[in-house]
Amino acid sequence: MDFFLQLVFAGICVGAAYALIAMGLSLTFWTTKTLNFGQGSLLMLGAVALTALMAAGLHVALAVPMALLGTGALMVLVERVAIRPLLGSEESMGWVVSTLGLGFFVQGFVAKFFGSQAISVPSIVFESTSFVSIAGVQVSAQSLSVLVVSTALMLGMEIFLRVSPWGRAVRAVAHDEAAASLAGIPVRRVVVLSFIASGILAGLAGVLLSQINGTVDPAFGFNLMVFGFVAAVFGGMGSVRGAMVGGIALGVIEKLVGGYLSSAFESAIAFAILMVILVWRPQGLFGQAEINKV
Amino acid sequence: MPEAFKAKLAFIGHPIFGLALVVALGIGAEFASGSTVQIWSFVLVNVLIAQSINVLTGVAGQVSLGHAAFLGIGAYASALLARKFGVPVPIGLVCATLLSAASGWLLSFAAGRVREFYLAMMTLGFGMIFYEMIREWTGVTGGVAGLSGVPSPALKTLKFFGHSVGAVGYFQFVLAVTAIVMWQLRNFLTSRYGRAFFAIHASEVAAGSIGVDRVATKREAYTLSAALIGLAGGIYAHLVGYLGPESFGLHRSVEALVMAVVGGLGTLSGPILGAIVFTYLPEKLQFFADWQFMVYGLLLLLSFVMLPKGIAGLLLPRSRYIKPSARKASALKSQGQGPQVSQDLVRLDTTQPLLKVNNVALSFLGLRALDGVSLEIGQGQIVGLVGPNGSGKSTLVNVISGIYRPSEGSVAFDGRSIVGLRDHVVARLGVLRTFQDPRLVKSFTVRENVLLGVHRLYSQGRFAAAFDVPSARREEASMLRKVSEALEVVGLIALADQPVRDLPYGDQRMTELCRVLVAEPRIVLLDEPAAGLSEGELGRLADVIRILKRRGVAVVLIEHHMDFLDDLVDEVVVLESGKLIYRGCMEDMYRNAAVVSAYLGTEGRQEVANA
Amino acid sequence: MLEVNGLSVRYGAIAALSDCSIRSSEGTITAILGANGAGKSSLMKAISGLVRPSAGTVKLDGVDVTQLPPHARARLGIAHAMEGRRLFHRMTVEENLRLAWDFRRGPDSFRQSLDRTYARFPVLAQKSSLQAGLMSGGQQQMLILSAALMHRPRCLLLDEPSLGLAPLIVQQIFAVIEEVRRDNTIVVLCEQVAALALRVAQQGYVLRRGRVAQSGEAAVLAADPALSVAYLGA
Repeated sequence: MDFFLQLVFAGICVGAAYALIAMGLSLTFWTTKTLNFGQGSLLMLGAVALTALMAAGLHVALAVPMALLGTGALMVLVERVAIRPLLGSEESMGWVVSTLGLGFFVQGFVAKFFGSQAISVPSIVFESTSFVSIAGVQVSAQSLSVLVVSTALMLGMEIFLRVSPWGRAVRAVAHDEAAASLAGIPVRRVVVLSFIASGILAGLAGVLLSQINGTVDPAFGFNLMVFGFVAAVFGGMGSVRGAMVGGIALGVIEKLVGGYLSSAFESAIAFAILMVILVWRPQGLFGQAEINKV
Repeated sequence: MPEAFKAKLAFIGHPIFGLALVVALGIGAEFASGSTVQIWSFVLVNVLIAQSINVLTGVAGQVSLGHAAFLGIGAYASALLARKFGVPVPIGLVCATLLSAASGWLLSFAAGRVREFYLAMMTLGFGMIFYEMIREWTGVTGGVAGLSGVPSPALKTLKFFGHSVGAVGYFQFVLAVTAIVMWQLRNFLTSRYGRAFFAIHASEVAAGSIGVDRVATKREAYTLSAALIGLAGGIYAHLVGYLGPESFGLHRSVEALVMAVVGGLGTLSGPILGAIVFTYLPEKLQFFADWQFMVYGLLLLLSFVMLPKGIAGLLLPRSRYIKPSARKASALKSQGQGPQVSQDLVRLDTTQPLLKVNNVALSFLGLRALDGVSLEIGQGQIVGLVGPNGSGKSTLVNVISGIYRPSEGSVAFDGRSIVGLRDHVVARLGVLRTFQDPRLVKSFTVRENVLLGVHRLYSQGRFAAAFDVPSARREEASMLRKVSEALEVVGLIALADQPVRDLPYGDQRMTELCRVLVAEPRIVLLDEPAAGLSEGELGRLADVIRILKRRGVAVVLIEHHMDFLDDLVDEVVVLESGKLIYRGCMEDMYRNAAVVSAYLGTEGRQEVANA
Repeated sequence: MLEVNGLSVRYGAIAALSDCSIRSSEGTITAILGANGAGKSSLMKAISGLVRPSAGTVKLDGVDVTQLPPHARARLGIAHAMEGRRLFHRMTVEENLRLAWDFRRGPDSFRQSLDRTYARFPVLAQKSSLQAGLMSGGQQQMLILSAALMHRPRCLLLDEPSLGLAPLIVQQIFAVIEEVRRDNTIVVLCEQVAALALRVAQQGYVLRRGRVAQSGEAAVLAADPALSVAYLGA
């Protein structure tokens, strides 16, 4: 029983991180109906930037915001170079390849200048070995901090979208861009802000998740991006609740499969879930079915 | 790049040039150094890889970001069959290709069901899964340590049915295979199948309207693409003699994309150029090898914006999607074949209406778009469909053509119910339509676009097309003749070989109309065909509609242009708020109280007027 | 005063509007009439900024707004209620009104504007926490109009507000439009049902194939038999 609970807790914690990634992906989907296929590199960049800044002597309280500012700024570039010029083009999927390209470039850049070996990430709050006891189960303090931060962010996101004017603006732009602009909403700015927020969330997810293993390498984040996507689809693209539920569900299932069958199947189960969802209910648990109008 | 320069380089695309090059390489291999033969072999593998991406992305418009997985499936399958089961390599290659194709088909199950980028993410995930699987499944694949001892010329272990094959021999074998595959690919892409791939790329809705099943076609594209890269994988396995998981990771998928995208998507020569460039560059330029990842990333980022047609687009004239041989054949034999397009139908079946719409209703978001609409249309009738904005005209046409399914009521064509049938099925029955904005393949010429119209009329199958057998050629020539005739009738013959995107709006409209004309329709639904046309073009439009009428084809015209309808239609149907409020001749329509009220509101709105 | 001079709008190769000039002063309702495809919606969109004209200018109170994006024009006081009942279906009535308020302030507070709206259309008060998409067509149109009026616009553009609505609702809506006019707002109203628009308007312009075919006082236009030519082409 202990083993089971341990797996469930671990799953919830990692699932919360998936939810963060899913949220980051969804943000740009809302405002532009596109996803950053290089999001994984932003996760990696967040952790790498933090490590580099702290190695340069910056205090963690300054290093973290600066690292996130960096990933946010990179997303501005993504929107400007990889998404906007390609939105109206004949190659309707051009942005998929171009965002992947940018992500790959970033990965290559880091590999070139920081090396392709894993580098060790400084512990921010807890040591990687500290544990906490919950209901008799040993849970790593860092995993728990991932859960707490992610949940707080999700709640913040939900409140922001419901209550604040800019949150409403994002929802409006997602629904009907023309009507939103007529209501005085600066659509361009909302789009860019959504990209920045997406970058910040990705950077933060990278910082948090890299704490668990204690290391980061250039390819870090790529797999996580795919999991984040599965979580988003599972829960329903474009729903905060969906991201949370989808992420946690995915995390728990993954850890259970890994614990009882084999860790080799962890990725496979995520992929299997994706396939089942796309066949059975493409809009996900909380999503709205799409009507294709001619 | 000026057209004259491009024309000079056009010989590169000519089959004779290709054949000469193949022969030259085959002979040259005997005299070239070992490392040259090695690199040429890698070029061939990359040609197949790049073409596989081209078929999927450049032609069919789908995206795969994990194509290295299929490369791996082909590689490991062929390697294991040869090493563990002693299967002769040529047979192993065939099996590897088939296995890869089957995987592609399976993976594409979501095609057509979800937005394209879902599928793109799925392919990324698939690539990831495959990579992990290779690493984990140590018993079969050797895991991280890899699979060694694969029969290959380098280790002098490669045997074809007992005969030992060296590096040169293997190269010549691969050269022959690649050449044949390229030839078949060329035949396929210049056949109706290739054009159908382009159609779903350019406009899914238009593809459906000419009878192309978009879901099946997308899956076909994935399958064919997977087959090509699977074959490449098998060949690769015996080239290197050792397989490790690192060869099939994300960077391999990215490399495949780069070759195809930078080479030039949508053309046959582009991927070949890309393969050559990106096989040689890492070998010859150490600098390039060091910065490879970053360069690839940058190329993918900027290609679509800066060089959308790739190197091929820069240097070579546009690819043609009709075989030149077929063009020549169609120009010759014009005697002994009467006009096919402007023939008049002698007997009209007046016993039963061609189209019977009964009490059809449909709601969108609570709004009643169609409310109990019933009408019958007979052969050879021209019916105008008019009404204010939002009255349901387009919705009715969409219901008839199978794009929407009504919530109530029935639609019967030629006596059989067509309600709920998908749009391409309805199109195949002879119910054809045009759209408010002409839906054409912009990169195709007028002729190629019109040729799309006859898609559903062919009887020759895929193999006949791939091997360019005489009967397929004859059929193609016959179709082309039909197209030429239709172009004459519509007045577009002078523009026939111009890309449609360069033409003014009126000509684009007429092209779409011509596509319908040539497709042997039974009933034609035209959505605002007169919009934006000049006086002369309106005349031509009316002429074409009359030709259709003489052939017994029923025509339904959604229009606002009353003058245009006046001389043309047999009767007019007026819709308002989803209801049919008038049916009869146009003269009486102008005097009909309900119609006048709907448009001008002078009667029936008195209560409001008094407010 | 709204001044449109020599406006031309092209969608690719199609000329939706050619050399259109319109004037509407404050406290005036100007009707824009014409058959489908005549260019009415394109004109409205060019005024509010949703489409860029290929030629011509749009001036509001002497200020040239032609180069401004739609949200900037909205803040200057141009309110455009598009055809097709476009509102934010998944937001509640009150959220829709809040959204209309957030990015353009008006002279009153939000509460005041809200109360004014509910006074005009009590049914909206009843349904204030209902999702907008679940209301009837008439109620949705009331909401759309209210959203456009939240910030007391300088210029109100209405594209087919009466489409698909019952006569009684249309009556209510037109009463509000008249009230707005009396408040010295510039109102441009485009309708399919010509007589309806001409009853409330002071002046009108008839569009035919993208050009102004006729213009003048509403009463004069209403009595003109040639109007049916513009619409039905007979």
